[in-house]
Amino acid sequence: MSATGEATDLILHDARSVRVVVAAASHLEGDTPLTIDPAPRPILGAGEDRRPLVDGARVDATLRRLDGVRARLTVGTGDDPTEHLVLLGELRPASTGPALREVVVDGWRVELELEPERRAALRERARRGHEAGGHGGPIEVHAIIAGRVVAVSVRPGDLVEAGQQMLVVEAMKMQNELRSPRDGTIDRVGVSVGQTIEVGDLLMVIS
Amino acid sequence: MSASTPPPFRRILVANRGEIAVRIIRACRELGVEAVAVYSDADVSAAHVRLADAAVSIGPAPAAESYLRIDAVVDAALRTGSEAIHPGYGFLSEREAFAQAVEDAGLIFIGPRPALLASLGDKLAARRFATGAGVPVVPGLLEPARIDTPDQVEAILVEADRIGFPLLVKAAAGGGGRGMRRVESRDVLQESLIAAAREAASAFGDGSVYLEREVLPARHIEVQLLGDDRGSVVALGERDCSIQRRHQKLIEEAPAPGLTTAERRRIHEMAVKVATAAGLRNAATAEFLFDSDRSFWFLEVNTRLQVEHGVTEMVSGVDIVAEQLWIAAGYPLSQRVRTASVHAARPSSAAIEVRLSAEDPARQFAPTPGRVGRWVMPDGPGVRVDTAIEPGDRIPAEYDPLIAKLMVHAADRPAAIRRLRRALDELEVSGIQTTAPFDRYVVRHPSFLAGDVFTGWVAAHWDGPAERAKAVRAAQLAAGIVEIESAAPGSFAGGGTPTSSLAWRAAGRASAVDRWPR
Repeated sequence: MSATGEATDLILHDARSVRVVVAAASHLEGDTPLTIDPAPRPILGAGEDRRPLVDGARVDATLRRLDGVRARLTVGTGDDPTEHLVLLGELRPASTGPALREVVVDGWRVELELEPERRAALRERARRGHEAGGHGGPIEVHAIIAGRVVAVSVRPGDLVEAGQQMLVVEAMKMQNELRSPRDGTIDRVGVSVGQTIEVGDLLMVIS
Repeated sequence: MSASTPPPFRRILVANRGEIAVRIIRACRELGVEAVAVYSDADVSAAHVRLADAAVSIGPAPAAESYLRIDAVVDAALRTGSEAIHPGYGFLSEREAFAQAVEDAGLIFIGPRPALLASLGDKLAARRFATGAGVPVVPGLLEPARIDTPDQVEAILVEADRIGFPLLVKAAAGGGGRGMRRVESRDVLQESLIAAAREAASAFGDGSVYLEREVLPARHIEVQLLGDDRGSVVALGERDCSIQRRHQKLIEEAPAPGLTTAERRRIHEMAVKVATAAGLRNAATAEFLFDSDRSFWFLEVNTRLQVEHGVTEMVSGVDIVAEQLWIAAGYPLSQRVRTASVHAARPSSAAIEVRLSAEDPARQFAPTPGRVGRWVMPDGPGVRVDTAIEPGDRIPAEYDPLIAKLMVHAADRPAAIRRLRRALDELEVSGIQTTAPFDRYVVRHPSFLAGDVFTGWVAAHWDGPAERAKAVRAAQLAAGIVEIESAAPGSFAGGGTPTSSLAWRAAGRASAVDRWPR
């Protein structure tokens, strides 16, 4: 690890530290979790730096809230800071797992999962321990678009390969194929042909 | 029309839904014409139903069982005592059988004559009309490509070599890019023709296909036409619709930037010639490609109101939908239309439209039906929004993803672009992903500002996933900052829904128990 600047390994996550993950419904390849820490208390003799830490590094970012929903996020300093138009949806605490919040930035909409960093880290350790113990558990496949199911090509008990087509959903005159995210066995098929589905509906369970 | 002129009709039926049905109903109200809406089960509480004077249910959500049912629409018009039917665009608007059924029922079809829908709706026939009128068409065939016998195959290959590769195989009855294929080389031509013919037959009920040169780079420029019963046809000006993806237009503007007055005159004259030769009545649009040698090539005629008619309305000062009603009622082209056509080659203002669609510009513009949360549309000087959406509305998966058209009008193109940027900054939509980020990107891009547009612009300049990634990072940052700024140590509050740390710990334990795979 680097010893210069704000080294990542020296950050002791504050109880307020938060991990922000792009929720499955909006996730795209390349999206990574982000951990944000409040500015650490200044060390004796050092000037106060109120900038938050993002993944362990200071970031020049200020959020100016205009009302309950609208905000402006300014990132960067000097002559050319970037200002983003932000809409903050309501925080939806879940009975289990991370809270959810819809955020729209410059017209891009994303569902985010928010969780105290410490808890997220615990969760991760628990998962690793579990997976090291043997079998990867069943995974649930949820709908990322709404539409009408026009074809279902697998049945419970079928063996599927990663990338194999499982169903076809028609939305706005376009056919969208749903493919298996990994090799496995179909445990459950939650939908049938002709059914209308909503974003987030459980489509398949694969083990 | 003078103040004493009675309305063109007493009552008409609007055979469409969404923003275009609302647009037509608005024209009706302004003219003193009663409007009757039709609706499917998915649209029971839709804006066009609410705004109309009366509404008739015509079937279940799928368009084939409602908005595309000729008998149900004509029957609704007869039962409500409507005198005419406005088809809008899409759905039945270009179907000869529909226009004919309307006339057979003793009603007026607000559009071209049925026979013209058949003739100009066939792209090959339209190419023959244009050629006959001395208007250059994109090089290619004027007759359907037949490949039933070896001789025919040989003849087509010879023709294809003459046209040059890559070329396009197009469906004679197609539109909006459907039934179109790009053929890279001679050895895949035959199979492409077979596949295209099969596709065309299933999509349009007509398997005729033909070959056309792919003009690259090219701009898409089209001319708004109006014609009356007496054979007068005029051009109201042209639009540039080059910013498109897979032949679906995304941004349209009037006038086309960078044309000389002589070039504007030339394309307007070409469009009027084709339309006059075909006997156009009511509204239509002639589409052309404009190549790098500054030549215009005729493509096709759309025999209906276009999605993008609004920008021409702004620049010409003509209410095209109102004029459609007057023309359909038998009036000659109005003085306003004639005056506008005289000035069409010397436009004195500029208008730009962006199509706001329920599509994800980071996922190849895949549709994103769902429920709209927040819905704030821009306003203020020079801004027009045509939409049928309100906060909380569901965007049904059954229909076109277009949810709003944002138009701006200003003294010139740079001012219009500045106004559009301002308007897009005021736009707020949550609940579904829209094409707003794409629009925001285009209006800031130097090549768009320079008027350097072409049909390959999106492929050349738009990297959706990269643009999205920047915004997602900012969204994560914003959401994180809200939490660390609003939370007391140990708690996790925000958005007016404070949650005690105890509840969080309990939730954490529950989730650790519940979510782990067993």
